[in-house]
Amino acid sequence: MIVRKWADRLIGLSATLAAIGLIFEVGVVLVDVVGRSFGKPLYGSQDLIGMTMVILVFGAMALCDRKGGHISVDLFERYYPRAMNHFIDVISALLGAVIFFGIAWTVYDSSKWSILLNHSTNLLNLPKFWFQYALCGLAIVTAIGMALRAIELTFTKKDIRFDRRLNE
Amino acid sequence: MSAAAIGITGIVALLALLALRIPVAFAMFAVGFVGISILTGTDAALGLLASESFTLASNTDLIVIPLFILMGNVATSTGMSRQLYDAAYAIVGSFRGGLASATIIGCGGFAALSGSSVASALTMGKVSIKEMDRFKYDPRLSTGVVAAGGTPGILIPPSTGFVIYAILTEQSIGRLFLGGVLPGLMLLSLFILAVMLLCTIWPSYGPKGPKTSMSQKARAMVGAGPIVLVIMLTIGGIYGGLFSPVEAAGVGAGLVIIYGFISRSLDLKTLWSATRDSVVTTATVMLILISAYLFNPFLALSHIPDSVGEMLTSLNLGVTGTLLVILAIYLVLGCFLEGFAMLVLTLPIFFPIIMELGIDPIWFGVLVVLTLEMGLISPPVGINVFIVKSVAPNVPLSQIFIGVLPFWAMMIVALLIIIAFPQIVLFLPDTMIN
Repeated sequence: MIVRKWADRLIGLSATLAAIGLIFEVGVVLVDVVGRSFGKPLYGSQDLIGMTMVILVFGAMALCDRKGGHISVDLFERYYPRAMNHFIDVISALLGAVIFFGIAWTVYDSSKWSILLNHSTNLLNLPKFWFQYALCGLAIVTAIGMALRAIELTFTKKDIRFDRRLNE
Repeated sequence: MSAAAIGITGIVALLALLALRIPVAFAMFAVGFVGISILTGTDAALGLLASESFTLASNTDLIVIPLFILMGNVATSTGMSRQLYDAAYAIVGSFRGGLASATIIGCGGFAALSGSSVASALTMGKVSIKEMDRFKYDPRLSTGVVAAGGTPGILIPPSTGFVIYAILTEQSIGRLFLGGVLPGLMLLSLFILAVMLLCTIWPSYGPKGPKTSMSQKARAMVGAGPIVLVIMLTIGGIYGGLFSPVEAAGVGAGLVIIYGFISRSLDLKTLWSATRDSVVTTATVMLILISAYLFNPFLALSHIPDSVGEMLTSLNLGVTGTLLVILAIYLVLGCFLEGFAMLVLTLPIFFPIIMELGIDPIWFGVLVVLTLEMGLISPPVGINVFIVKSVAPNVPLSQIFIGVLPFWAMMIVALLIIIAFPQIVLFLPDTMIN
């Protein structure tokens, strides 16, 4: 229960970062467009949009899984026995956890190259490894959420995706 | 084992995983990663996983997806989308079948804004079916228009389907948006024509609705003014070269939020909820896109698109024949697969063939998106039909499918017209962006 509570807090926090990121993106585009009409576009707006997008996309992944937002083909679901559907849910959650741990690990690995080669954005020179670290952190939160879901499904048969507390 | 054999095994494995209800993105990740590992080594697969995850997540062009989704969500929350229906209702509702026509206009506008004809069927269905029931409309017509009414909206920009197509095929989002405008309006008109024909042949299908006074009409039109203005500004901005699609999306979302606060139809809590919903939808779309960038290189390495291309060329069907075969495949697949997933899965195979044949990619994009929408109202899956069933539980499913048939036929007519006259798609992009 405590683990779930903390996991939900982490999921909520990363989704909050994503939502703030989206509002920030709207602001950046508006300021850029309005500024341009006065001959003063926002310097580095492309950099800000691109890097904030990383937070927006990966920040929302954990909540997307928590709400059962991933698209799947449920054409044959009703023909499978209940135990098999349950087994597929567990395997899906585990596969998702492995994928997101994989993304976090490989992006962390490539961030070492970004540091070594001093990779940064074109105009504002924002170091790319900052955002690669952020992506890793958010991917790990997603992976933890999925792993926890798999454990809960296995031992308590409870599918957190139908729990509406965080989803509302 | 040859590369082609590994490719075919990969596709079979992917289909098996999809049939087992593994999420589309996870299945594509797994098959793509394992396939590339076998064909070129694990290091290449790991490198691709790292680079594509970050590159796609930081792609500035893709920001149009969350921005347009946010615009649609806020417009729905503030009731701006509903005002489109109210305006259409006030203007054409008093004619025979007028309420059905108003529903089509409302659903089309709502789907164009929200990027989802499913959301349109659900939201508009709750309002309009009740209204049509009140005026003794035949349930086949009332449910049919709601199920099908949103489908033209996907062709009218902003359309998420076009953004996904543009990213996957490296085409211009602006050209695709403009390419969809005339076909979308044409399909909307064909749907209204279908309603008029049905009500002329069987007058009891759609009796006359309530008469509205001039002042009621004017009030309804003024109510729909802001959302019409936002659409004109965003799409007109792209059309006039004022905005890039990214800027149009940002301005559209910003204007809808500002209007919501000024008109007091939006508060911070609703905005927050709409924003969270928007980022979750974005995550769903983006994860599939990232997985596609792992799966597509696997397909290319296994030379599957080449083999399919050679097979289709060997049939000697000519350009139009091959195009018809590809669209027929989409039509059949659309009966079973979710549209967006199908786009991501099939484009790497079909798009190289299309380019080889010299078919215009914008024209093909519009044809494909239109065909995908047909899947939403085709049995046995036809998700829109099930949505309408949930809103109108008393109408048997078979009756809803019968009600959808005239509109499905009109979509075929639209498809054939667009195939015969590609200028309908290409006129706006060619004259404005070249």
